[in-house]
Amino acid sequence: MNILKLENLTVGINEKIVVKNINLEIEKGELHVIFGPNGSGKTTLLASIMGLPHIKVCNGKIIFEGKDITNLPSYERARLGISLAFQNVPSFKTVKLEEIVNKICKKFNSKRKELISTLKIESLLQRKLFYEFSGGERKRVEFFLSLLQNPKILLLDEIDSGVDRDTISIFAKIINDLIDKKVTIIIVTHYGNILEELKKITKVHLMVNGSIVLSSDISLVEKIMKVGYEKFLEKYGR
Amino acid sequence: MEDKILEALSKPSKYGMDLDISKYVIEEAEISEYANEEESRISEEVSKKLGIEKEKLDYIQINQKAIYKKYQEKGLIVIPLKKAIEENEIAKKFSWKIINPTYDKYTALTYLKGNNIGYFIYVPPNTKVDFPIYTCLILRKGAQLVHNLVFLDENSEAHIVSGCTIPHQTEGIHIGISEFYISKNAKASFTMLHSWSKNIHVRPRTVAYVEENGEFVNYYISYTEVSSLQTYPKVILNDNAKAHMYSLIIGKNSAKYDVGCKVILKGKNSSAEIISRAIALEESEIITRAKIIGKNCSKGHIECFGLIESEKAKVSTYPILISKNQEAMLTHEAAIGKISREEIEYLMARGFSEEEAKTIIIRGFSNIEVKELPELVKKQIEYIRNKFLKFTL
Repeated sequence: MNILKLENLTVGINEKIVVKNINLEIEKGELHVIFGPNGSGKTTLLASIMGLPHIKVCNGKIIFEGKDITNLPSYERARLGISLAFQNVPSFKTVKLEEIVNKICKKFNSKRKELISTLKIESLLQRKLFYEFSGGERKRVEFFLSLLQNPKILLLDEIDSGVDRDTISIFAKIINDLIDKKVTIIIVTHYGNILEELKKITKVHLMVNGSIVLSSDISLVEKIMKVGYEKFLEKYGR
Repeated sequence: MEDKILEALSKPSKYGMDLDISKYVIEEAEISEYANEEESRISEEVSKKLGIEKEKLDYIQINQKAIYKKYQEKGLIVIPLKKAIEENEIAKKFSWKIINPTYDKYTALTYLKGNNIGYFIYVPPNTKVDFPIYTCLILRKGAQLVHNLVFLDENSEAHIVSGCTIPHQTEGIHIGISEFYISKNAKASFTMLHSWSKNIHVRPRTVAYVEENGEFVNYYISYTEVSSLQTYPKVILNDNAKAHMYSLIIGKNSAKYDVGCKVILKGKNSSAEIISRAIALEESEIITRAKIIGKNCSKGHIECFGLIESEKAKVSTYPILISKNQEAMLTHEAAIGKISREEIEYLMARGFSEEEAKTIIIRGFSNIEVKELPELVKKQIEYIRNKFLKFTL
């Protein structure tokens, strides 16, 4: 049985349709990559799987482990094992990172020690969450927090953008380990920086104007990277 | 002088709503080393409320009755001020010298009718009092007029925790006059934990005079509804003296708070910070004021943050900086807003319900980092803060 199934999923933000008619089936332990130009609806697709409140499902269903979760609030989905690393995070001017870490670890009964050292989080624990963090610190902490939820399915939104090469390698190693442990992962990426270090990519989906227009293996990424989105899309038509 | 004080009985406070002080019954002053059964029960009840062990209370005042322990440790004195004025030269000399009874009608009333019921604390030179000094001021009904005098001799250190509360719903007014004299190189902290109810008016009046190299830490927390509460402590700092003024106010129902403080940077290299957090819930109104006057080469910072958590609530903040010296570095930061939707939604995606998310954010907001207080006092504040968070959310 698949772990996640999207059936004819159409979602909108503020009356505007952003994701159209998506059909996707993902098996446990698979790694899917969603690829596409800016504004194609990738982030919204992940947000709708997470159930963020500003997203409205207009049509279709989201099935997680056989259960229809289309109308479930985000925190219940999180407790079921869905976790999202946000592309953009809010700055918490008054809450320390450590407080959030304590709370998440308690809720998800998770361990932090190893991740703190691998992702170099130690020096940030006493800081206010995301407040005056550098781009790289933000990405590291966001990835770290999403992992603390012990997810069954991990949704990673552009975790590789604005991050140096060494950090990308650290992220990739963690992702590879998770896949070995049968955690399911969906990665959204614009530039594909991280992809060459990922070992077992199951499928790559190209998203354009809110729809998945092509699904293929990793060779699709290489083709697109070679010519760029514009030319590729001209060739295949929008 | 007496005439002027009588005249001051009709002098309203500069801030806060004006009150008719003539309608409250003031009980006769009484001093005792023992609490009767009922008083014992009341103090037990309120000490639980404030998280202070009853046995640790060094001074209890119920309306105008002062109950104190007779002890002397390392020369430390904690006795009713009325008694102290009779037998202690310092008490006699400094009582009503730091606060002028003609300041407003509340100080005048306390001077004329309060009979100096309140505590006198004396810390001898070169003495560090290891444990916080706990006091509890309980208003049963009518008026409670409290006059405290705290004197720290040179190079000493003491931490005072005052819990002010009521055992049950009642109508009344609590006026607390607190005079602090902090001698050279001495350090005092004054933590006030307040828990009131809807028919109570509260008017604390605090002034601290800090000599060279002295330090004064004031932490004020009030987390309940209250008819009205207005306070505006004043601190005068001499050379190299420091003041840290913190307040955490949580307004419930139709509570009206007007809370602030003024620091005068009189001495060279004196420094002050005034930090306040206001959370207005329901129909409450909170005003926070802060004023720093730089008269010398000195440093001052004001930080006023407010959270407004209901459409009917109101938060105002008035930070004022006045510099009379080119070398005074004065800054302020103020912000009022509601809890950001983005932050709540982010936490919800991390597995927290909306209520849990709000609690996390408010908990963070209400956490003022205070380095200057000893662990025991911090724990006390934490207890009250946790209680408030449970109580509110």
